[in-house]
Amino acid sequence: MKRYLITNDGTVISGYGYGSPVTGYGELVFTTSMTGYLESLTDPSYVGQILVFASPTISNYDLRKGVMESERVKVSGVVTRDAHIEFPAGGLGTEFDRFLMDEGIPGIDGVDTRLLVRKIRQGGVMRAYITDDPEKAKIFPDPMAENLVSKAVEARGIRNIRGKGEKKLLFIDLGSKKTLRDMMLDHFSLTVASVDSDLDSIDRYDAIFVSNGPGDPDHPSLKPVVEFLRKNIGVKPIFGICFGLQIIALAYGSKTYKMKFGHRGSNHAVTDGSRIFITTHNHGYAVNPDYVKDFRVSEYDINDGTIEMIEDDMMMAVQYHPEASPGPHDTRWFFSEMRRRTEDATKG
Amino acid sequence: MPRRDDVHRILVIGSGPVVIGQAAEFDYSGSQACLSLREEGYFVVLLNSNPATIQTDHRIADRVYIEPITVEAVERIIARENIDAIEPHMGGQTALNLAVKLKKSGVLDRYGIKIIGTPVESIELAEDREKFYEFLKTMGEPQPARYKIRRDNIEEDIASIPDSPVIVRTSFSLGGTGGSIARSRQDLKNMAENLFRSSDIDYLEVNESLEGMKEIEYEVIRDSFGNCITVCNMENIDPMGVHTGESIVVTPSQTLSDVEYQMLRDSAIRIISGLGIQGACNIQFALSEGRYYIIEVNPRTSRSSALASKATGYPIARIAAKIAAGYGLHEIRNPITKSTYAAYEPSLDYVTVKIPRWPFDKFSVDRTIGVQMKSIGEVMGIGRTFEEAIMKAIASLDNAFSSNIRMHASDEELWKLIERPNDRRLFAIFEGLFRNFDTKKMARLSGYDEYFIEKMENIVEMLKHVEIGHIPENLLHLKRIGIPDEIISSFCGIPADAITKYRIEKNIMPVYKRIDTCSGEFEVVVPYMYSTYEDEDEMPDLKGSIMIIGSGPNRIAQGLEFDYGSVKAILALRDMGYRSIMLNSNPETVSTDFDVSDALFFEPVTPEYVINVINRSGCAGLIVQFSGQTGQNMAKRIEDILGRRIVLGTSTESIERIEDRTVFSKVIEDLGIKQPPFAIAENENDTVRKAVSLGLPIILRSSHVIGGRSMEIIYDMDYLADRAREVFTISKNVLVSKYLENATEMDVDFVSDGSSYNICGILVHIEEAGVHSGDATMVYGPGMVSREVEEKIENIVESMVKEFHLIGLSNLQIAARDDDVYVIELNARSSRSVPFISKATGVDWVRYAVECMMGSKITEKRTEAKSYFIKVSVFPFSKFSDMDVVYGPEMKSTGEAMYPGRTITEALRKSLQRSIRSVLITVRDEDKPRMVDIARIMLDKGIKIYATAGTARYLNDHGISAETLYRVRDRREPRILDMISGGAIDMVINTTEMTAGAVRDGFKIRRMCIMRGIPLIMNVNLAKAYAESLGPIPIDYREIGEYL
Repeated sequence: MKRYLITNDGTVISGYGYGSPVTGYGELVFTTSMTGYLESLTDPSYVGQILVFASPTISNYDLRKGVMESERVKVSGVVTRDAHIEFPAGGLGTEFDRFLMDEGIPGIDGVDTRLLVRKIRQGGVMRAYITDDPEKAKIFPDPMAENLVSKAVEARGIRNIRGKGEKKLLFIDLGSKKTLRDMMLDHFSLTVASVDSDLDSIDRYDAIFVSNGPGDPDHPSLKPVVEFLRKNIGVKPIFGICFGLQIIALAYGSKTYKMKFGHRGSNHAVTDGSRIFITTHNHGYAVNPDYVKDFRVSEYDINDGTIEMIEDDMMMAVQYHPEASPGPHDTRWFFSEMRRRTEDATKG
Repeated sequence: MPRRDDVHRILVIGSGPVVIGQAAEFDYSGSQACLSLREEGYFVVLLNSNPATIQTDHRIADRVYIEPITVEAVERIIARENIDAIEPHMGGQTALNLAVKLKKSGVLDRYGIKIIGTPVESIELAEDREKFYEFLKTMGEPQPARYKIRRDNIEEDIASIPDSPVIVRTSFSLGGTGGSIARSRQDLKNMAENLFRSSDIDYLEVNESLEGMKEIEYEVIRDSFGNCITVCNMENIDPMGVHTGESIVVTPSQTLSDVEYQMLRDSAIRIISGLGIQGACNIQFALSEGRYYIIEVNPRTSRSSALASKATGYPIARIAAKIAAGYGLHEIRNPITKSTYAAYEPSLDYVTVKIPRWPFDKFSVDRTIGVQMKSIGEVMGIGRTFEEAIMKAIASLDNAFSSNIRMHASDEELWKLIERPNDRRLFAIFEGLFRNFDTKKMARLSGYDEYFIEKMENIVEMLKHVEIGHIPENLLHLKRIGIPDEIISSFCGIPADAITKYRIEKNIMPVYKRIDTCSGEFEVVVPYMYSTYEDEDEMPDLKGSIMIIGSGPNRIAQGLEFDYGSVKAILALRDMGYRSIMLNSNPETVSTDFDVSDALFFEPVTPEYVINVINRSGCAGLIVQFSGQTGQNMAKRIEDILGRRIVLGTSTESIERIEDRTVFSKVIEDLGIKQPPFAIAENENDTVRKAVSLGLPIILRSSHVIGGRSMEIIYDMDYLADRAREVFTISKNVLVSKYLENATEMDVDFVSDGSSYNICGILVHIEEAGVHSGDATMVYGPGMVSREVEEKIENIVESMVKEFHLIGLSNLQIAARDDDVYVIELNARSSRSVPFISKATGVDWVRYAVECMMGSKITEKRTEAKSYFIKVSVFPFSKFSDMDVVYGPEMKSTGEAMYPGRTITEALRKSLQRSIRSVLITVRDEDKPRMVDIARIMLDKGIKIYATAGTARYLNDHGISAETLYRVRDRREPRILDMISGGAIDMVINTTEMTAGAVRDGFKIRRMCIMRGIPLIMNVNLAKAYAESLGPIPIDYREIGEYL
C-alpha cells in the first residue's frame, strides 16, 4: 500500500506502507547503526522521533534475536529502504510487519533513505509525518516542546531492585534502557525513581545516577531533577549517561544546545587525547563547550569535538552509551569505574 | 605520536607470482603500503618477483627489485641498499614466511633490521597453530577440538580421534593447501598416509569439523597505543566447510543480531590485543545459536582485507602502513572524507556481495569446493539491497550465468548441487526457486541462511512474470530490484542491447550513490560510486572525462597483467591533464583503489553498466584496450547501442575484423603474409575433412576466445571429432590451422598511431610453438632474434598497422622456423606481456599508447636489450589433485615471475631458486637423442644423473653414466617415487607424448614434483638452457634499472 513521508520543508516521498496504518508524527532523525534494529526501535530516547535507518536492510535477522530496550516500540514511525516485507515467504518479514502493526507504529519502506540522511545532514533535523493521507500533514508543531520524558518512562514511582553490588544507587529514570539497568545491577543495588517522584524523600543511597532519556534537557518538566542534583553536587557521587550528562551539566550551571542533526549510531570514536573508544551515540543535544563550569572535559568526539565525558572528584558522566545495545562494548569499564568511585567516596 | 624516526630505508616484500590463494589483492595492499610510507618521507625499496604488478613500478617505490623472494636475495638487498627496516605484512603468506625465516636465520639481528608493524613474535604466535591454540586456551576463547597424527604413530593417533568429520591440515598453509575434510576414520587414514608420503612434515593437525556453522570474518586494525577498531565484518553465505576464498561473501553481515555482532567483535578485539597486532588483522569465526569458535587469524593484510577495503571505502593497508610508521588511529585522517579520522568504524548504507571466479570453464577438474581454494579471482557487486548486489556480482562473473541464470538439470541433480558445495550451488538454488522447491529444505541442505534464499526468491518472483516477446511493462520495477538487462533478455527474448536502448529512450536509468564509510553522515570528497535505481544522484561533474574499463575478475589468461595496463593508463591520462573514470568489478585490484582515478565506478564490466555511466557522466571517450578480451568483445556493442563513436584507439570495425579468425586469416593471405596453412570449417564434418587435407597435427581456433579456450593441438582423428563437436557449441565457424612443428614462437608487443609504430620488444618462447603464450617460458634479451627474423617481423607489423589502422597497443604472435615468419594471431589491445616488456625495457609503453589514442604521433623509440629477462609461469597443479601437469595451447598458469640477469645463465639460475646436485631424466623416445648432449653438460658440472629404465639404457649406450630408477610395478629398487620423496632428486626432466588418452606413466612423478616444489622441466629446449645454467656461476641481485 502506498504511504507518504512528508517533511516540514514540503518534501513528499512515497513508499510502501507496513506496520500500522495510523499517522505518525515526530522529529525526523537517522541512525547509522547496522545492527540492532529492535534495540533502536524500543529505545526510549527516541520518543517523539521518526527513525530513518541509514542501513538499507532491516528485519534481515529474526526479530526475536534482538533485545527489547523497553516494553514497547518508542519511535513514532520507521523509515526503511528494504525491510524485507515485499514478498513475505512466511518468514521474518511478515513478523516484523505484524509486530509494528501490534505496536501501532507506521512504517514506510522502499525509501531512498540515503537521500534523507544527506538532507538531514545538510539542513538539520526536520519534522515529518508518515501517513496514508497527505491531507493530514498540515501543521508541524515542535515535538521537543512536549513532555517527552514522561512518555518515555514506563514504571512510575519508586522501587527497589536488589543487584550484585552492596552500594545503593539512586537511579533517576528519565526513560532508561533495559540494558542500562541490567548493567547497573551487576555493580549496584538500585532505587529506581521515575522523573516525577519526590526525590528529596528518598534516603539511604550512596550515589546518584541520571539515566538516558528523550528530548530537550532544558525542558521545564525537568527543573526539579536539575535542582535536586544541584543540591547534591559535592555531597554524593553523581553519575550520568547521555541525557543524564546534559542534565548534570545544567545542574552545574552549564548550558546545552540543540545540535544540527545529532549523533545516532554505533561507530563514533571518542578520545581522551591518546586512547580512543568506539561508542554508541544517540543524542540531539549536547553541552555547550563555552559554558564549561566547575568540571573538566575528559573526552570528546574525535570528529566534531562534541563534549563526550565530564567529571570532577565527585561526578562522572558520559554523553555516549557504555551499555551499548546496539553497539560496541568498548566503554563498559564505565560501570566498574562508577562502583570504584562510589566505594572510594563512601569509605570514610 | 609523530612518525618513528628510528628507521629510514624500508624494504617492502611483495607476494610474488599470482597463485591460487595469493593473487592481485597483494598488489593492491602492497602498492598502498609503499605509497603510504613514501608519503611519510621514508625511502621505500621493494622486492617482488612478479613483473605484472603495479607495485613494481617506480611510481610506487623508490627502488624496485624484481628478483626471487628468498633469504639470500633479501640479505644482499639489505646490504646494498642500507635497509634498516622491513615491512612484511603486505605480501601475503610469502612475505610473512620470509620474515620468520629472516629472523630464524639471524639476518635481522646481523644487520640490525627492525620489523615495522606487527612484530615477528606476534606473527609466529598467530601462525603456528600449536602456539595459537595454547594462546586461545589461556585467553579462554573457544576453539574446535583438535588432535594430532604423528608420522611415527599413525595407527594409534587415528584411533584416538572420533569417527566423525574432521579437517586435516599442515601448519603455515596458503590458500588452504593441505587442508581437507575427512568424513570417516577410514577416510582420515587414507588421507594421512598420502600426506606423509608426499611431504616431509612430522605431524598432521586434525580439527573437529565445524561444517554447517556460519562463517564470519572481522577485519580489525590495532595501533601501537592499543587502540582497536573493526573495519567491518563479512558473512560467508556458504557455511563452514567452504574456504572463505571459495565462499560467496556479503558485507556487512546480514543475519547477525547486534548481540551476535558484538559478541564476535569483543572476541576479535580481545584476541588481536592479546596477540599484540600493530596493523591489520583478519579473524575468522564459526557461529551457531549464540556459540562461536575461533577458526583462524591472519596477522597481515589479506584477500579479505582487500575486499573489506573496497566494500567499505576504508583503505586498510594504507592505514596499517601508517600505524607501522608509528602513528595512532586518532592521528590518521580518513582519506575518503578527509574531514574525519581513521579511528572510526565504517557504517555501510549498501550491501556488497563477493562471488569467487573459478577456472572450471578452462579446467576439466572436480567442481566441488571446500577447504582447499580453487578459485582464481573474485567479483564484487554493490547495491542498495542484497538482490541488487548479488545480481551485479553475477553480471560481473563474465560466465554463462551472467546472461542466463536458469540451469538445465533434473530435480535430482539440482538437489545434489544444492547439498554439496560446488561452483554452481547458487544457481542451483535459483533454479530450485523457479521450480518451487521448498525454501526451508534448500536452506537446510545448503546451509545458506533462509534470509538469503528469500531474497533470491524476490528476484525469481519478478522474473517468473516476465513474458516472452516484449520488453516487460514493469521494467523499472525489475531494474529497481537489480536485474541486469542481459538476464531480463534471457526471459523476454528481446536482445539485451535493445533493452538497454529502450531504457535510454524511456530514461529508465540508475542514479549513482557514493561509498563514504559513514552512511552519508559526513561529507565525502572522493567519488567512489555505484549505481542504483533510486531518487537522488550524487554524480559529480565528469563531462569531457575519459573512461577506462578494467578487465573484471582475475581468471586464467586475464589477470593482474591487465590491471597494470588500466592503472598505468589512468596515471598517463591524469598526467596529460584529462580527468579519468575507472569502471571495474574486481575488488582485488589497484584499479579499483579510489585514489587512482578521478572517479571510480564499482560496476560490472558489461555494456549495460558501461553505457549507463557514459550516459550520466557525459564522458568523452572510452578506452577498452586494457580490458583484455572483455573489452574487445563489447567495444562494438557499446558503439552500436550509443549510435556513435566513443572508443579511442583502434576502431571497433578493425577490432571486429581482427577478432573474427576467419576474416583475419583471409586478410593476412591477401596481404601476402605467411601463416600456417589453414582452412575454415563450417561444421563438424567439414572440420574433419579440412583437417585431413591439411594433415595432422592441427590446431582448432574459434573467434572471441579468452586464453585459447577451445584451442588445442590435435594429433589423432578420434579426438578431433570430439573437439570439433565441442567447438561448434560456442562458435559458428572454426579456423583449422596446421600446427607448425619445431618452430619458435614469439610475442611482439607494439605501439602505433595508425601509420607509424614502435616495437616494444620481442619475447622468445623457449618451448617450441604450441605451448600457450601465457604458459610458455619466455626470454627477452640481446641476440635472441636473428636480424632476418626481426626485419620480417617489422614488415609484418608495418603492414598490420596500415591495414587495420592500429592505434595504441597491439600484440602479435608469430612462429619462426628456418628464418620464415608465420603469423599466428593479432590482438588489437594491450597483452599479457606488456607489463613484463615495460619492466624489461624500462619504457612506459602504456603511456605511449595512451598518447597515441589521444591523438599524438609516434616518436621513433628504439629499445635495445642489455640484459636477459626470463618469464616463468606459475601453475595451479598443486590445488587440483585430478589435473595432470602437461602444457598445451590451452592456458593453465595463474601467474608469472620475472628473473633478470646480465647473462641468460644468471637469469635461468635465479629461476631455480635452489642448487641442483642430481637430476632425474625420463623422456619420450624422440627426445632421447637430444638428451645425450644435455646430460653430458650436466655430468661435466658434477651433477648426478638418474633416469628411468628406457632413458637410462639409451644414455648409458651413448656413454653417459646414468643410474636407473624403477616404477612401483617393476618391483625393483631404488624406486622413483621414493627417491623423489626422500629428497634425493633436485630436478626432473620429463617429456611426454601429447597424444590425448596416452598412458600417463609420468602422472605420479609430475604430481610429486609439484607437491614438493621440485623444478620440473618438460621441454627439451628448456632442459638444455637450464643444463647450461647449472654449476658455480656468480649471481647478483640488482635494482631493475641496473639491467637497462
